[in-house]
Amino acid sequence: MACLERASPALKEILLKLYRANKSIEIDHHLYEFGSVEYHIQSSASDEHHMYLSISTPLLSQEVLLPYGISHHTKQMITAICSDVVEIIEPAKEGYQLTLRLDFSKLPSGKDTLKVIAEISAVQAIILSSRLKEMLMNVDSHDTFQGMYKPIKLVYRPSEPFFIVRQPQKFIAVFPIHFKDKPDVIIATTFFQELMDVGSSEKWAKAPPCCWSPIPPPELRGELFEDLSTTGGFVSFEISSWHVKGKKLDKTVWSLLNFYAYVKFHVKSTRSFIQRRMRKRLEGLVELLHKRNIKEVEVEEEEEEQSRKIQANAGCKCMIRISNLPKPTVLKRRYNAFSRTIKRIRSRIKIQGFGRFRRRWLKMPKFSSSMGYTKLE
Amino acid sequence: MVGANTLRLYLTCIRNTLDAAMCLQNFPCQEVERHNKPEVELKTSPELLLNPVLICRNEAEKCLIETSINSLRISLKVKQADELENILTKKFLRFLSMRAEAFQVLRRKPVQGYDISFLITNYHCEEMQKHKLIDFIVQFMEDIDKEISELKMSVNTRGRLVATEFLKQFI
Repeated sequence: MACLERASPALKEILLKLYRANKSIEIDHHLYEFGSVEYHIQSSASDEHHMYLSISTPLLSQEVLLPYGISHHTKQMITAICSDVVEIIEPAKEGYQLTLRLDFSKLPSGKDTLKVIAEISAVQAIILSSRLKEMLMNVDSHDTFQGMYKPIKLVYRPSEPFFIVRQPQKFIAVFPIHFKDKPDVIIATTFFQELMDVGSSEKWAKAPPCCWSPIPPPELRGELFEDLSTTGGFVSFEISSWHVKGKKLDKTVWSLLNFYAYVKFHVKSTRSFIQRRMRKRLEGLVELLHKRNIKEVEVEEEEEEQSRKIQANAGCKCMIRISNLPKPTVLKRRYNAFSRTIKRIRSRIKIQGFGRFRRRWLKMPKFSSSMGYTKLE
Repeated sequence: MVGANTLRLYLTCIRNTLDAAMCLQNFPCQEVERHNKPEVELKTSPELLLNPVLICRNEAEKCLIETSINSLRISLKVKQADELENILTKKFLRFLSMRAEAFQVLRRKPVQGYDISFLITNYHCEEMQKHKLIDFIVQFMEDIDKEISELKMSVNTRGRLVATEFLKQFI
């Protein structure tokens, strides 16, 4: 779920490391996220109290012209994290949109420390959300093309564009869904159908109405063919003014920006769930085939062990009661005793030393004949 | 209720057919000296092959039983009502086929037009006993159907829960 968190996990880890070190460390890190977000963290041993964090995020849209830098409102939001700790440096470092000077010596103690560090790590999310907010506020609702409202193409992550269409009372967010594998497409489609079902129920009447269609919605007419050719269809949300009121605006914007990541995460975890379940089932089926064989082997082993015990106890007085033994074993034992008796009766009488006597005195002479033959080896 | 009845009849029919067909004996290859090969796979001597039996529950569910003197091949086609069932069935049966060594009697590649195939030789019958093998095949068929239905239900339930969580963010 790391991709859905506002705070960048890698940046958070580095900042925590710097905070816990309790002394200035020489650091010059470049971090890249989702292929387009760049962080530069700089800390020198000479400057004990300060470290510098520079951030560069891609432009959400090429169509709507917003100032490249950071708006005044966003700056206020960033400094509001903790004005003692965070200071915006102007102008920002070359190649970056924002540079912050952080003073960890002024961090509040206790649990607030982690909270502030997490909020600093989430600065990129603040910039992006506020950009989308501004965009939505600034878009001219009368900007129509042949009676249709012109959609704005937004690219939060490369190869995952989505569209925002402003309408008089609402705006529509349209997500073209791309998946390479067919199973992924089907899992995602199942999810969209559930999303539509859940959204249309009375309980979720306040949630934005959701619609999935395999063909592009009419709002996207006139867009580039490559943007309209998808494998997983199009999901659209109707965002009304109720969803962008006050604090809800932030949540709505973040949910829309991360819808792709959310779907991808669901598909990935469902695939792993199926795999886990199949593995478990395989074990069950193999067991089914071998279960009875194992039982038989166990019975045989038990029998062998019992017979071994009987043999071991044969010379002792402590005999096992016959009544305790299973019927086939009793029968087997009786048969063995009977066959031993027969063998004894039929065998020749042995006299000690008779063999030697026979070899010495009852020796048969060897006859050799000239007509005889020698066996060839 | 009707579905359960037809399934029972279908499985009973397969069981009885397997019971009749699984009279296998050791039979050396007639083509290659000192070789012993499953004749149902080679199909070199027609006199060693019996007529194949096809048992159909419906268009989508069928079972082909091909018998020879020393081996038997059972091919199954599992029902796939929609796309989700289709990918789940394919995934699961492929997963099992790739681990065919665990079953001994499972064929790595199904016969064309079927989802999964078993190859039973006279040696398997001697090692595992005929009635146990038949029990296993029938149980396997029941379990596959059940597993696919359960998996489908789980995927849908997961989807619903995730959708609910997503919509919660807007309220």
